[in-house]
Amino acid sequence: MLEFVLDRAPDLAYRSFQHVSLVVQCVLLATVIAVAVALLVTTVPRLKPVANFVSSVGLTVPSLALLGLMLPVVGIGTLPSVAVVTFYAALPILRNAVVGLEGVSGNLLESARGMGMNPLLTFLRVQLPLAWPVILAGLRVSTQMSMGVAAIAAYALGPGLGGWIFTGLAQIGGQNAVNYALTATIAIVVLALLLDLLLRVLGRFTISRGISA
Amino acid sequence: MTTTEPTPTTDAGPESVSGAEIVFDQVTKSYSAQGKPAVDSLSLTIPAGQIVMFVGPSGCGKTTSLKMINRLIDPTSGTITIGGKDVRSQDPDDLRRQVGYVIQGGSLFPHMTVAQNIALVPGLLRWDKKRITDRVEELLDLVGLDPVRYRDRFPRELSGGQQQRVGVARGLAADPPVILMDEPFGAVDPITRQRLQDELMSIQSELKKTIVCVTHDIDEAIKLGDRILILQEHAQIAQYDTPEAILSAPANEFVEDFVGSGSALKSLSLTRVEEVELTEWTTATVGEPVGPVLERARAARQKSVVVLDQRRRPVDWVNIRALTGETVPAPVDEARDLHQIDHRATLNDALDTMLVSAYAGVIVTGRRDQYVGVATFEAVTALITARNEAARQAQEDADEQ
Amino acid sequence: MSSDTATPAPPTDTPTAPQGERSRSSRRVSRDDLGLLLGLPALCAVLLGGWAVWRATAELDDIEARSLAWGLLVQLFGEHLLLTALSAAAVVLTAIPLGIALTRPAARRAAPAVVTVANFGQAAPAIGILILLAMWLGFGVPVAVLALSLYAFLPVLQNTIVGLQGVDQTLVEAARGMGMSRWSVLGRIELPLALPVIMAGVRTALVLAVGTAAFATFINAGGLGSVITTGLYLFRNSVLISGGLLIAVLALLVDWAGRVLELVATPKGMR
Repeated sequence: MLEFVLDRAPDLAYRSFQHVSLVVQCVLLATVIAVAVALLVTTVPRLKPVANFVSSVGLTVPSLALLGLMLPVVGIGTLPSVAVVTFYAALPILRNAVVGLEGVSGNLLESARGMGMNPLLTFLRVQLPLAWPVILAGLRVSTQMSMGVAAIAAYALGPGLGGWIFTGLAQIGGQNAVNYALTATIAIVVLALLLDLLLRVLGRFTISRGISA
Repeated sequence: MTTTEPTPTTDAGPESVSGAEIVFDQVTKSYSAQGKPAVDSLSLTIPAGQIVMFVGPSGCGKTTSLKMINRLIDPTSGTITIGGKDVRSQDPDDLRRQVGYVIQGGSLFPHMTVAQNIALVPGLLRWDKKRITDRVEELLDLVGLDPVRYRDRFPRELSGGQQQRVGVARGLAADPPVILMDEPFGAVDPITRQRLQDELMSIQSELKKTIVCVTHDIDEAIKLGDRILILQEHAQIAQYDTPEAILSAPANEFVEDFVGSGSALKSLSLTRVEEVELTEWTTATVGEPVGPVLERARAARQKSVVVLDQRRRPVDWVNIRALTGETVPAPVDEARDLHQIDHRATLNDALDTMLVSAYAGVIVTGRRDQYVGVATFEAVTALITARNEAARQAQEDADEQ
Repeated sequence: MSSDTATPAPPTDTPTAPQGERSRSSRRVSRDDLGLLLGLPALCAVLLGGWAVWRATAELDDIEARSLAWGLLVQLFGEHLLLTALSAAAVVLTAIPLGIALTRPAARRAAPAVVTVANFGQAAPAIGILILLAMWLGFGVPVAVLALSLYAFLPVLQNTIVGLQGVDQTLVEAARGMGMSRWSVLGRIELPLALPVIMAGVRTALVLAVGTAAFATFINAGGLGSVITTGLYLFRNSVLISGGLLIAVLALLVDWAGRVLELVATPKGMR
């Protein structure tokens, strides 16, 4: 297996990069979308049940099913991968962002307003920093999940390590089948844990000591 | 800081007043077209440099009235001016940056340090860094928190009382002429509340801001207010006068009920501890040899000694039998509550504190927390008796005329 | 100015980070949950009804008609459900006892280590685990069930531990003080009180299993996933969408069943 990996080191590195880059970009996009939706939901409370329903239902729909539903719309390749991964990535973040933003006490918001902070400043300097630990927890769940979803998205010819798992499946019985599937699976686990570690470190630096556990 | 009485009327020296006058003119706030308005045609002048307390039963519109001053709520009709300027002629955010706002519990932002909390409004006003740092330092000093120790702490690392002090410092940060307070001391225990009140009074005697403070506690209103506004439903003015006048001549039954039956007792809130004849107590300084201290105590026929630190701040009050060592020890438990009050505290506070004190007396402190003397139970009751006697006399004289 | 006596700081306004789906603590039936309890079947009925009408009326070519034959779909639906049920049952029978064991005094210290290992496994992509297991143990239903169970194991284990740890120890003490044996305390006090949390874990496991069962077709273990692979191979969008829709509906129904279970499992006094 070592020989297998060494032989394909550039390809492995490239696929790992693709996989991580897909996940990171999708999670970033999902974070922006989710926080924006959460902000809307917390300002218009009537939307909250809708958001909760959507995130519950969304997380229940299996990724392969969503891929099947999405392919006719966006075709095969990178785009369905981005769409599917972003969709799943957004849901845990959305749920946590709603909880986090709702957790900011009305007293503090009124204080901010009473001190002459406009809504944008209030959001950036009060709401977001206070909700951040919870949002970040959602980000970690989301990233972990997205690493797996991205592997499945490869079934529709998307980029990344998932491709090797399906190569292994296709070549089953062949001498490298296990190598392909095993290398890709292990690589995904390792990269997922690395990303998680990175997010923890990010939390260390971005969560105010005044509110960290 | 002076030791004169808080100025009861508008004759404070104009040169020292940094506050601005606030005028309500026919201010009405209705939340719906039908139904009675929350605030109905309120007209009121709040003199510059005074503390005016808004009191009344819940739902009387006192908080609504307060929030209309910094436009957290906009009036339906009528005008409010600060220093002659209509608040509605200004951008609400700009206005609020020039009006201090302190609410219950301090409402500190938990993710910001003490210094960052205080520096917020100066930052919004784009003060330069150096000026902000200096200001934070100055304010922490003013509210009695050591800047070096507390500057970089987070709110959760402070006690409730300390948080509230930082809240006050934050309200004062940009040196606003007007400060609005909404139940500022509602979330702390009674003894801490009393200290915070004392402190607010001493800060005010220095700064002479215009302070508008909402409270539901009539005792707090009597203690802190230069004037008290008692509101009925729909913010109808039941009485607007000095505490003395409200206590001695309630305008109507509502005020009488609200102030409570114990009006004679309420005057305890009007009399400050500094008027009590204080007893000279035996004092000792930490580290001083015990021998001479015991001698002094015996000579004064006192069984206990007030221990002071090097800056003459009381740190302990011990029985002489406990002084068994070579020198006077520093207190073991620094956090232990010493039964001391500021000289501006009321007789009410003094009696409250005595109830939990071991020595039927309280240590009275003055400027910068320095020891002044001890107010004994006898001295306080003597003063009350004298006051009541004088009041009775005055009443009789008035009846005769 | 003297510093205040050290009164404990009041609780700050920081929100506590939710532990995510897996270890949701017991709570009352909220309006959201009620919405899901009623909304899910309604949504499924609409989706399934709409699809059935389309299937019955649309003009399909040969390939489509064959791939979407009623009999075939019912069979695949059944296979999918069976895979889900078998693996959920396997998880319940293994993870709950292990969770109970790990909260007993003798093994309590091992709990964090076991959860960490399980967590580690959770980071692996389900599809990778499934295919690797099949390469090792061969294709077919038993291996698919094993893979699904492995994947759905952690939520139940974790929630069993969290649920049991969350039981108020004074209640346990009271029960012991009344003379109940350890076993009867477990059976009559601890488990009933922890049941809502455990069932939340079971629901999560069910959802994970039903989703992962879609991959079973890759190792010849049946299920609705084959409708999607067929659609993709044959470039028939109608088949692809039908597959996606049917799997989604099945997953939503399983989730709904899990929610009902959760509700039923909550002791009346705690609802």
